[in-house]
Amino acid sequence: MTQNDTRNVDGDDEQRTDGSETAVSEPTTGSDATSDSLLDASLDVEGGTVPADADTVIEARDLDVFYDDVQALEGVDIEIPENGVTALIGPSGCGKSTFLRSINRMNDLIDAARVDGDLRFEGKNVYDDDVDPVALRRKIGMVFQTPNPFPKSIYDNVAFGLEVQDKADDVDETVHRALERAALLEEVEDQLDSSGLDLSGGQQQRLCIARAIAPDPDVLLMDEPASALDPIATSKIEDLIEDLAEEYTVVIVTHNMQQAARISDKTAVFLTGGELVEFDDTDKIFENPEHERVEDYITGKFG
Amino acid sequence: MATTDDSAGAWFGSDGQVSQLRGLLFKAGCLGATLLALFLVFVFLVYVAVDAIEPGTADPAWWATVAATVAVPAVALAAYYYRYDPRAGEVAYTAVGLPIAATLLAGGVGIVFRHIVSPHEWLALVVAALVAYGALEVHDRVRRAGAFERAAIGAIVLVVTIVGLPGLVPSLRSLILSLPVLPMAPLSLLGTFVVPVALAVGWYVRRERESERAGLIAGGATVAAAALGAVAGPVAGVSWTTWLILTTVVGVPVGLYVERVLSGGEGVSGLALPVALAAGVVVCAVVVETAGFTGPDVWLDWEFLTNAHNRTPREAGIYPALVGSVMMIIVVALAAFPVGVGAAIYLEEYAPTGGLLGSFVELVEINIANLAGVPSVVYGLLGLALFINAGGLQPGIVIVGGLTVALLILPIVIVSAQEAIRAVPDSQRQAAYGMGATRWQTVRTVVLPRAMPGILTGTILALGRAIGETAPLLMVGVAAVVRISPTSFFGLFSAMPRQLYSWAQLAKPDFYHGVLAAGVLVLLIVLLMMNGTAILLRNKYQRRD
Repeated sequence: MTQNDTRNVDGDDEQRTDGSETAVSEPTTGSDATSDSLLDASLDVEGGTVPADADTVIEARDLDVFYDDVQALEGVDIEIPENGVTALIGPSGCGKSTFLRSINRMNDLIDAARVDGDLRFEGKNVYDDDVDPVALRRKIGMVFQTPNPFPKSIYDNVAFGLEVQDKADDVDETVHRALERAALLEEVEDQLDSSGLDLSGGQQQRLCIARAIAPDPDVLLMDEPASALDPIATSKIEDLIEDLAEEYTVVIVTHNMQQAARISDKTAVFLTGGELVEFDDTDKIFENPEHERVEDYITGKFG
Repeated sequence: MATTDDSAGAWFGSDGQVSQLRGLLFKAGCLGATLLALFLVFVFLVYVAVDAIEPGTADPAWWATVAATVAVPAVALAAYYYRYDPRAGEVAYTAVGLPIAATLLAGGVGIVFRHIVSPHEWLALVVAALVAYGALEVHDRVRRAGAFERAAIGAIVLVVTIVGLPGLVPSLRSLILSLPVLPMAPLSLLGTFVVPVALAVGWYVRRERESERAGLIAGGATVAAAALGAVAGPVAGVSWTTWLILTTVVGVPVGLYVERVLSGGEGVSGLALPVALAAGVVVCAVVVETAGFTGPDVWLDWEFLTNAHNRTPREAGIYPALVGSVMMIIVVALAAFPVGVGAAIYLEEYAPTGGLLGSFVELVEINIANLAGVPSVVYGLLGLALFINAGGLQPGIVIVGGLTVALLILPIVIVSAQEAIRAVPDSQRQAAYGMGATRWQTVRTVVLPRAMPGILTGTILALGRAIGETAPLLMVGVAAVVRISPTSFFGLFSAMPRQLYSWAQLAKPDFYHGVLAAGVLVLLIVLLMMNGTAILLRNKYQRRD
């Protein structure tokens, strides 16, 4: 555990320098967006390239989400940097899962959901008319709260993404690599043909992670991936997330504040009403938050 | 808190503080309702069975022999399994039920090859399909085309080989059928029916055993057993074709099952039950023959199954109606399954759920559920208007009867398929969408495979209802009595319930007691088979989840 901690601190230090850079460049983009957001958007579409801040992968500007008349997110502004782990924390019903699901447009599947504002992935608003949500989801993988492997063999589960995305080159090797990357290969190497449902809960969740990373997405969204697991399985998943963050941008929703503190580089705190109250380096959030409400939440006075 | 009054200390309710009376009465009432329902059905079944078998016409000694040689050993074995070896009991009942079910299925296959697709026709179809597949493969080699082009080419090739272009190109199928020399019927069946089954068996065994050799042996044995019929058939007194069908449809599953039990080593003693039953029947027959006991004068005998209707009750049979029912069910299944499942998939997976359109869809769904309750005679009227008056088809032919009954069960198929699709957990769909699957990929690879057992169960149950429907057949002019089985889907036919209805109206008591009862038993057995299949399917797949 101590080893992990040191590694974590190192990572945070690096991240902090990154963060300060972001902070410097932020006012410029911010003022642009506020002065003339329409112009800004059109420029992006024409250029088709990433805007000024190259390290930002996902960027929300004044994002509102409604379920029928109920507002689930209110004016969220956030810039999620490339690589590393960004944790979204907050009490139940604060909209953190809604935010996560609006990144890869899973909310489209809910008829009642309506999205306003900008949510940019690599500089392109994902809610533009010319964005195909299916193409978007192929760039952004997702792991869900309860493990949901298909009732197919372990191999077919991992190969599912390759099959639907038509990435037929060397499926065998890709499947093995994804399982290895998800720290599951050793345990299941001899039973790739048996059903994914025969695995334990923790193994199933790692299988789902292997399935999500097999087609090599850019971003990995995780919706409370360890909440249905016991502590041992949870710690395995946490180690795995830290490893994955070297290659992928991981955005994770969690109810567990210790977990957020352990594994994330940046933390966003959502509070009741669907409001993003504070977004900063994890250390800053947990040691010295700007807002009193955030401090209250983190210290357990509320929520 | 404890207020000690006169009844102090009696917290355990022995003095009747807690009134259980109403609950007990309610429980007794529910039990009464259950018993009444079971009793009524049971009495009806016994009544029909007694009429069909007429146990009173047999010598008491005959019954005693049957009891001593067949019933007592079977009951003793069953008791032993129940008490000491439940696993063997499971094996025993499967080993008895499987041959019976398989034999009935073989009867169905026999009817199909005798009346619906002649062996030569089947040969032509298989060859044409193979050629079409080959053409598709060649096309694939030459150029790697998109899914749409492949589907189009496949459809065109199939149409050309099987249907042909009317007036321009004769189909491959009709070319084959017009050949002056065709292999004799059993030979063409051996090549186009037994060999594919043997291939499937070999593939299955190879996968199960993970041994190339076992697969080869299983496949080879299947073909060998069928080919043996050329010599053994006439010796056993059946035609080679009958032998072929029996070995393939009955021999293969029974052989596979027995082999699996023997090699698995679990519950082997269960195989004693079918052996004891068979031995008992043989001994019984010998004893009855030598002692000269007369058996019951059963109505439901081989003649009944193979004869057509006749003025003499003893000569009358159900065969043409049975064939008619089988052909009608084929039409019903082919018409209702794709339409019903397609509608269910659209309503569950694609139809809008919100807003004005969503309300409209909801209205449609409610109406479909209501249509499931519309009296069947109304559907008969609809069939009459739609297919005969508007469609110009001849009244009373198989396709009209089948389509009309298909209309009748369509709402049931839709509703049950919808339920099966709805039972697929949403988390599965989310997983697929989250992986970047399109809606079509999600439906095809995740939703349908998972919902299919449920869809099939619902469809089979609906077909069970279809096979017993009488009123719609009356409305579309299905003949009361047909003495020759239909030879095509455009031929006149009668179905089992229609035949039963006309027997019930005849004046001779032998008809409305004996013959009718035998017919009811046949219909019930067919129904039981279909429902049993549905239940087996459901159990098998429920256990897997």
